[in-house]
Formats: sequence, structure tokens, C-alpha cells
Amino acid sequence: MEPRVFDKVLIANRGEIALRIHRACKEMGISTVAVHSTADADAMHVRLADESVCIGEAPASESYLNTAALLTAATITNTDAIHPGYGLLSENAEFSEMVLEHGFVFIGPSPDHIRMMGDKITAKDTMKRLRVPVVPGSDGLVDNEEEARKLADGMGYPVLVKASGGGGGRGMKLAESTDEIGTAFSTARSEAMACFGNDEVYLEKFLGQPRHIEIQVLADSHGGVIHLGDRDCSLQRRHQKVLEEAPSPALNTEERDAIGARVTEAIGSLGYLGAGTLEFLYENGQFYFIEMNTRLQVEHPITEMITGIDIVREQIRIAAGAKLSYAQEDISFTGHAIECRINAESPVTFTPAPGRIGDYHPPGGLGVRVDSGIYAGYVVPPYYDSLIAKLIIHGQTRNEALMRLRRALHEYVIEGVETTIPLHRLLCENADFVNGDYDILWLEKFVGLE
Amino acid sequence: MAKHSIDEGVIEQLVKLLDEHGLTELEYGEGRWHVRVSRAAAGLPAAPPTPGSESGEPDVPQNRESAAAHPGAVTSPMVGTVYVAPEPGADPFIKVGDTVGEGQTLLLIEAMKTMNTICAHRPGRVSKILAQNASPVEFGEVLIIID
Repeated sequence: MEPRVFDKVLIANRGEIALRIHRACKEMGISTVAVHSTADADAMHVRLADESVCIGEAPASESYLNTAALLTAATITNTDAIHPGYGLLSENAEFSEMVLEHGFVFIGPSPDHIRMMGDKITAKDTMKRLRVPVVPGSDGLVDNEEEARKLADGMGYPVLVKASGGGGGRGMKLAESTDEIGTAFSTARSEAMACFGNDEVYLEKFLGQPRHIEIQVLADSHGGVIHLGDRDCSLQRRHQKVLEEAPSPALNTEERDAIGARVTEAIGSLGYLGAGTLEFLYENGQFYFIEMNTRLQVEHPITEMITGIDIVREQIRIAAGAKLSYAQEDISFTGHAIECRINAESPVTFTPAPGRIGDYHPPGGLGVRVDSGIYAGYVVPPYYDSLIAKLIIHGQTRNEALMRLRRALHEYVIEGVETTIPLHRLLCENADFVNGDYDILWLEKFVGLE
Repeated sequence: MAKHSIDEGVIEQLVKLLDEHGLTELEYGEGRWHVRVSRAAAGLPAAPPTPGSESGEPDVPQNRESAAAHPGAVTSPMVGTVYVAPEPGADPFIKVGDTVGEGQTLLLIEAMKTMNTICAHRPGRVSKILAQNASPVEFGEVLIIID
């Protein structure tokens, strides 16, 4: 019997993902509460939500990261469940604990699992224990330079010194030889202390030209676990993803099924709840686990396009105690999907370019999806990240998707602010990209950073 | 549709009324002829109700914008629930017409089980009390106007 899904969900986020969550809720007959800062009073999802509560001034620390304000807003609106989106407090174990203590449902995994995967060493150790392949490296924390040098010399350079409290590309220093390991080690420690409040570091072999391939999982509270295939997110600039595609052009069906099965079994043993993504570096046919994100990802739409599954809907259903709507044998991958992250930034210097949107005309047609909260006259605020839209293309084949992407990018009009649309237009004309022939270093070379 | 020469006087009057009363939109008609004067861009979805206005009380929404701009406006520094008296059953801290001194307690806002005192930011006369007892308020919401 289907348990009652929630009456009301509070969306503890902003921008395009808040709109995404609102949409999933409305399609399930769930009322929405949009909490917002003073700078976001005119945001699209705030306008559309059933209720809105202004929770503080523009800076995230005073609004979107303001736990007291969020919980109070949930209390006064009689919210049932809180969806944390991505970024902000979505992977903050203390926040999820407080949500639970106040009697709300947190749409996500348990605080323990958030904490487990938030600590990169514990995450790696857990995956090792569950027989998921990991990047070779130190066995836990490295306490001193001596030990670091010994290990690094043994592993072979280049070697990365990584902060245990880091993640998402932050808190890493590279050592290319035994001469560099000392400096890399001490710099990594002091930076880690400054950024994350803890100087614990570990070592990992640096892979030369890997691809970034991640696997989407969903797990319910009835023992149901499935994977929704892979996404290739190798096109990154300074560890920020710029364009993603599914499935990865680098994998064949056997490889996909094998890693999918391995991951599903591991997540099943953990008793994990909700949506999650395991990120891997993939090189020479080998997968190496780097981290797990215990939340919805920005690029989730490309998985939705090839599977036909609404991931946010499944998150909400799972949180309400329902069984997964699908078993693994129900999942099939149809066609190819590509997502372009469109930021309000210079396409050349990547300097943020907030401001008022003039004319706005998104592309349309078969297989074209735009996830965005912007509109003509909207003011892109300077206080938050610069992502303003995601253009998601689906085609029957990768070639069809590429042609469609090219066409859609040339229709897209966003006036008034600089955007990275010109960069995406260049990318989809580029031979390497068209051939699927790229790795995690490729984009930085392309934009001239190397 | 019959041609109708534009009576600028009517338009001017409507704009004046719009401004005076802090309205967003005003429509006037005579027979089959109507004119609408509007402040906001058309076609955008309307702003949803905020928690405070759900009670159905005539909150005079069109006065909100002008209220927030008033120099004597006391706005909420947090999300929470308003209480107008120190305890249930006690007299309210203030009523309309009272003279208050700077720093005088006007009301309480409860958030996360703690009571926070909201004080007058300047001396003057309480001209409007917009907050209702036991009602939720959001950040920046106008609670009281001190003239």
C-alpha cells in the first residue's frame, strides 16, 4: 500500500534547483514553501510556490545557511519535509540532524551516512571494505612529512595530498617528485586548516589522464537499490563541471553493467537511503572511487532524459517511506543526453557577470529541456553562484544529440548579462568533443589555462 | 471597437491614485471602455501569499510597500511567531496611540523556542500595529509603525 506522501515540503535552496524541486512537488500534489533571502524575493520559484517566507538578508550565511531561520520557517508553515537541494546545507550532517530533531523529514540519507561520505577518508575506507575499487593511496591519514615522502616514493609520482575534510576539488596539492612532496604536504595541511578547520590529510596516486565518470543510485527503506547508469563529467574547469553527458562515450555496456552492479551491491550493504552519486576516475578501463555525494546532483537531468525517471520525485517518495517505483530490470537507457551549464560569467575570463536580464528566449523543440529560473527583467544577484540555466538535450543517438545541441545553442537568447553560451557553442563544434575524445584535463587546455 | 480619444486627465488621475494609495494596478471603466494603469510588468505569476496574510484579516496588502518605506517602520529581524504581550492573558506591551521611548519593548518574536524582544528604534507615537498575536512573520516584515 502506498504511504501518504507529504502534504507540504519546504525547499531549502534557491535558483534553478529550487524550481526543479517545486515542480516535482506540484506534480505530486504537494504544497511548496519557498524560503528566500531578500535578494531572491522575485525569484521564479518564490513566485510559483504556494507559500514563501523571507528568511534573511542576501548573504547565504544570513539566509540559506541560517539553520535557525530555516527551521523556524518550517515550523510556522507546518512543513512536513525539507528538501535541501544541492550545495548549501544538503551535505551538512548537523543540519540534517536538527531537521530530524525538530520533527521534520529530511529528504536525503541519514546524518550518519552524510557524515561518513563527507569525510573523504572514511568514505574511501568504506568503499574499500565494500569492494568498490578506489584510487591507490595512503592507508588513512598521513601525520608527517617523513611518512608522506616514504609513501609517495613507494607509490610513484605524481601524488596528490588531499584534505580529509575537503571534496569537490578543493583542498588538494600536487607533488610531481620527491623534491616537491615536502612543500605539497605542509601547504596542504595549512590550507586545509584554513578552509575546513581541520588539517588532516591523506595521499592518493595522481592519475594522468582519467575521465570523471559517476554512477547514480537510488535506494529505498525496503531494501530496494537500483542504479540509473553513468554520467561523464570530465569537462571541468578548476574542478567545476561545465558540460556533462550520459551515457559516457568511453564505456561499453559490459563495463557499465559491471560497475553499476558493484555500486548497487555496496550501497545495498550500507543501508543507504535516497539518491546518491558515486564519483570515479576512469583510466585504461579501470574505475577508481574518489568520492560519494549524498544528495541530488546538478547534472541529474541527463540521467532523467535517458531513463525517463524523475529523480526528485523518487527522492520524495523514498523519504516518505515508499518503495522504489522501479526494479533494476525496469531500467533501460534510451538515446543520449547532454547538459550545458550556463553561467552568468564571461565566456573568456569566467569573471562572474551578475545583472539584469534583458530579452530572454530559451530554445525549444523535440528533445530540448531548459532548467532555469530566469526570465526577462530578472536580476541575477551577485551573492550566489553564477549558474543561471541548464540546457539539456536528448537525442536518439549521440550524433542526433550533438546536432540538436548545436541548433538549440544558436536559438538561445539571454541578453543583459554575459553568459557562457559562446563557450558551449565552441565546444559543440570541436572535433575532440564531437568524437567524445576528452579527459579531465581537456577543457582547461581548451580554454587556455594550461 | 469604437475609437475613443484618450482623455489624459483620466490617466493622470489614475496614476495619482495609484501612487497615493501605494497600489500596483488600477482599472477604471465607463461602459465598454476600460483603462488599466499598472506598475509591475504584466504576465508574470503573482507573488504568493506570505504566512502572515493567510489569516484572512484585511491586512491591506497594497499598503505593504509604502509601510516598509516609512522611516518609522519597525521590521522583523527574523522569521518567527509574534506575541504582543509578555505572557498569555497579560496586557499587550503597546497599543495604537501610545508614546514609546527608544529601546522600549514593543513585542516578542519566538523562534526556535526562544523569545526575542523587539524594541523601538526611535521614540515616537505608535500609529499602526500590523503584527497580529500568535501570527508567523518573515524576515523584513513590517510589524509596527512609529510616527
